[in-house]
Amino acid sequence: MSIKKLLLVLALLLVGVTVVAAQQEVSIVHYYSSDLGSATMAKLFDGFTAANPDMKVVDNSAGHEDFKTQILVTIAGNNPPDLFSYWAGARTQFIVEADRLMPLTDFWSDNDLDSIIPAGVKPASIYNGDVYNIPMNVHIVGFFYNPKVMAAAGVTSMPTTWDEFLAACEAIKASGVAPIALGSMNRWPAQYWLDYTVSRTAGPEFRQQLMAGEVAYNSPEVATALEAWKQLVDAGYFVADANAYDWTDAADQVANGEAAMTLMGTWITGYWDGNGLKPIDDYDFFPFPAINPDVPMVVHGSVDGWAVPASAANPDGAKALIMHMLSPDAQATWAVGQGALAAVSNVDPSIYSPVMKKAADYLGSVAFLSGYDLSTTPPMADAGLNMFAQFMNDPSGYMAYLDEVEVVAVDVFKK
Amino acid sequence: MTNTTERRTPSYRMAIFFYAFMTVLVLLYSLPSIGVLLASLKSTAEISEVGVWTLPRSFDLTNYSEAWNGGSAGLYIRNSFFVTLPATILSISLGVLAGYTLCKLPFRGSNALFVFFVAGLFFPPQIALIPLFRLFNDLGLYDTLWALILIHVAFGIPICTLIMKNFFSAVPTAIREAGIIDGANEWQILTKLMLPLSLPALAVLATLQFTWIWNDFLWPVILIRSNEMRTVMVGLASMKGQYSVAYGVQSAMAVYASIPTLLVFVFFQRYFIRGLTFGSVKG
Amino acid sequence: MVKTRYRWIVLFLTPPLLIYLFFVVFPLLSSFYYSFTDWNGFAVDYNQIGFANFEKLFRDPLFGKALTNTVLWTVAAIVIPTGIGLTLALALHGRNFIGNLYKSLFYLPISLALAVIGQIWLWIYQPDWGLINTFVRAIGHPEWSTAWLAKPQYALLGVIIAWAWQQIALSMVIFLAGLTAIPQELIEAAEIDGANYWQRVRHVIIPLLAPASVVVIALAVINSLKSFDVLYVMTKGGPFHSSDNLAMFMYNESFQKYNMGYGSAIAVVLFMITLAVIVVYFRQSANAEHLYD
Repeated sequence: MSIKKLLLVLALLLVGVTVVAAQQEVSIVHYYSSDLGSATMAKLFDGFTAANPDMKVVDNSAGHEDFKTQILVTIAGNNPPDLFSYWAGARTQFIVEADRLMPLTDFWSDNDLDSIIPAGVKPASIYNGDVYNIPMNVHIVGFFYNPKVMAAAGVTSMPTTWDEFLAACEAIKASGVAPIALGSMNRWPAQYWLDYTVSRTAGPEFRQQLMAGEVAYNSPEVATALEAWKQLVDAGYFVADANAYDWTDAADQVANGEAAMTLMGTWITGYWDGNGLKPIDDYDFFPFPAINPDVPMVVHGSVDGWAVPASAANPDGAKALIMHMLSPDAQATWAVGQGALAAVSNVDPSIYSPVMKKAADYLGSVAFLSGYDLSTTPPMADAGLNMFAQFMNDPSGYMAYLDEVEVVAVDVFKK
Repeated sequence: MTNTTERRTPSYRMAIFFYAFMTVLVLLYSLPSIGVLLASLKSTAEISEVGVWTLPRSFDLTNYSEAWNGGSAGLYIRNSFFVTLPATILSISLGVLAGYTLCKLPFRGSNALFVFFVAGLFFPPQIALIPLFRLFNDLGLYDTLWALILIHVAFGIPICTLIMKNFFSAVPTAIREAGIIDGANEWQILTKLMLPLSLPALAVLATLQFTWIWNDFLWPVILIRSNEMRTVMVGLASMKGQYSVAYGVQSAMAVYASIPTLLVFVFFQRYFIRGLTFGSVKG
Repeated sequence: MVKTRYRWIVLFLTPPLLIYLFFVVFPLLSSFYYSFTDWNGFAVDYNQIGFANFEKLFRDPLFGKALTNTVLWTVAAIVIPTGIGLTLALALHGRNFIGNLYKSLFYLPISLALAVIGQIWLWIYQPDWGLINTFVRAIGHPEWSTAWLAKPQYALLGVIIAWAWQQIALSMVIFLAGLTAIPQELIEAAEIDGANYWQRVRHVIIPLLAPASVVVIALAVINSLKSFDVLYVMTKGGPFHSSDNLAMFMYNESFQKYNMGYGSAIAVVLFMITLAVIVVYFRQSANAEHLYD
């Protein structure tokens, strides 16, 4: 009797329930899952559905790592969302190589996106000659500092050369504060040190070759870069035990005056603003100083964009939603809500705080390159990130670490 | 309460010492749990300034209201119930059937079958995410709570079989034989004789299964897309943003999420905690 | 008679077996299949590469580290939570109201999700304001304080302790259930025979707890071999793989580095190891299980 009931229930479970949707659905998965991110995103969706009453946005967000797993599984399982947020660069390249993304080249030209998306950002959209990722916002990485701590140490003008930078660090250290905070517990915050030391010494071209596996990790150029980084560690300029802290801890150390600055992305302004800090008064920005004056300056950072899976059920809905997100109003709402730089050039620059204005101006003045884990293929990035954690634990053996990483690079790039 | 350990405690002083010692131990042991409570009463700014382990500056329940309203805790908790209750009952029912058969009705190969059942526990479930996603997608169950119920029933079978088989082995086989002599069939023996004697085991298993299913977040992250179908653990996990976490709100959500599992424990604990000795009814 | 017995066996076993086969076994079998391919997870196409993943695995230094850590974790899991859980269960079994309150407090960690537990313990190990460093500074030994989880020599231990904190509660609860199932007469008989408390525990209670012990130890072994969530939140296997275990290693390869075929091979090896351990263990405990037969 009860077994029959049980079987009946199971049979019912297997039949399942199909919901017939009256509206056209656009399903989206994104990683803006913090309360601030999801609330701002929801605002943009409301604007979209108000303009398109026949469309319904099915919104799903997940934290960074869960998101990555979710995207992989839904794409491999042939039921992906209609669009999803994704990091421009090697991660997008990886899915393009797997033939899982829809080319958006025609979408780009039909909507004349060249007229609103700056030429400097456009390369982040192109993969194998086609457009696959439409930018939503840009973050750049530079030094975010506590002006009060700097002033107390007598550092009044921010360093633009390596010598000035070293002198500033020395002055801050002498004032009894750690010059540089770094929270590399999750590894990636350390990567920008490699990015900048390499591209400021050997140059952006060499740096791109390194990311593509065309030059060796244990080459003298990379060693020179790490030597510059090591110089800072050896001089005691970093807060001890970087691997014990997350980047938000490092941000707190700067905010609380325990450290003077941290090399981080513009998203740190969103975190600080949320904690009640005031731009200019409580924090400010300066770009990574030049090391070798002969190489062109670049800015590192990340571009968050939108990708449409090749098997998306409603690509037209996805494209309509993307166009809505690129509208000046949506871009302004988003940039302000996220502490990010808008991806389009036609937003009113007065939306930016004075600090973000500095970042926007710097982005406009030099070439843009993604950060390490978005520039090299994921299997390689894992080995590199691991090396940065090793380096921050004990930089003395860096040549040995580079040799180990090169072994992985040979395997990954099939040299 | 007739209890040997208590009767044996030789003196009042020993009892005082015992309770004092246990009190210290229990306080130490509870410190981590207290951390969640402390964090849930603090703003992100306060945590970033002084850390978690200080008393909150003010008794501020903002995080709780934010988790409830902004975080849709109510909706998520309801979904969690819709998944957890049927999945707990069904997985235990199937585990009881398998455990009883493998324990009290042994046959050629029953030991191997037992290992086969338990072997499902040995596989890291992450590796089967893609095949299972495809399976539920093909069944048309993707993005429904049914998918979660089914997955928890299926993945609960190994542990329920393991626990029930072992606890049935503590029930004297003579009871079954007596039942057969009285003319009972296997179903009657199982439901009328064996299950009442296994109440502590059933209560433990129900509590644990409920908690495990409730606390799972891997499957709902993968098998659910709509916000309206999310369980409370996904709500909790998704508070981790792209770059940072609002620890205070997340802790408040964690407190909400743990209340139902604590209530289940309180409800079932009299069967296995208070020492009602079912096992001695018919020795 | 024999015929009806088999009819009941078939009737009772068919529903669990069918669901188990359909939703657990077949999906898992596909991992066996992928372990012989170079699938990256995203791509539509992949190649059959025979045993290449397994050969690579045994040359991979990360595998050696992850395997060693997994074994250490399992040994710790068998000893620490089982021992402490049993002691707590014996101490608290059948006590009065205060004892019951304590049982509930000891149960608390089970109701917390593993991800939350990982977060709490991060706060405990936090170098500046964490509980441990605050404590060692308070007792006048600031030199004992360190960045626990950032040190390769402590990271794994730190994670195991956090994990064991919950596992102790789990062991205690199962032992408590086992204790309540022990016929009171047997214990009283031993008492009348003049056995003191320790003798009764050793010669009566622990042997009669065999079914509960099997569950506790099997769960400790299985949970430790697969343990992932706490590790994931606390160190992600770091710093630089010093706290990697097999589950973490598998996850990294499959979902971080997109070597799904290689990750499947790790899962298969992990499965084989667990199976071997559990089969040996069940053989060993088979005698104890038939106590009542």
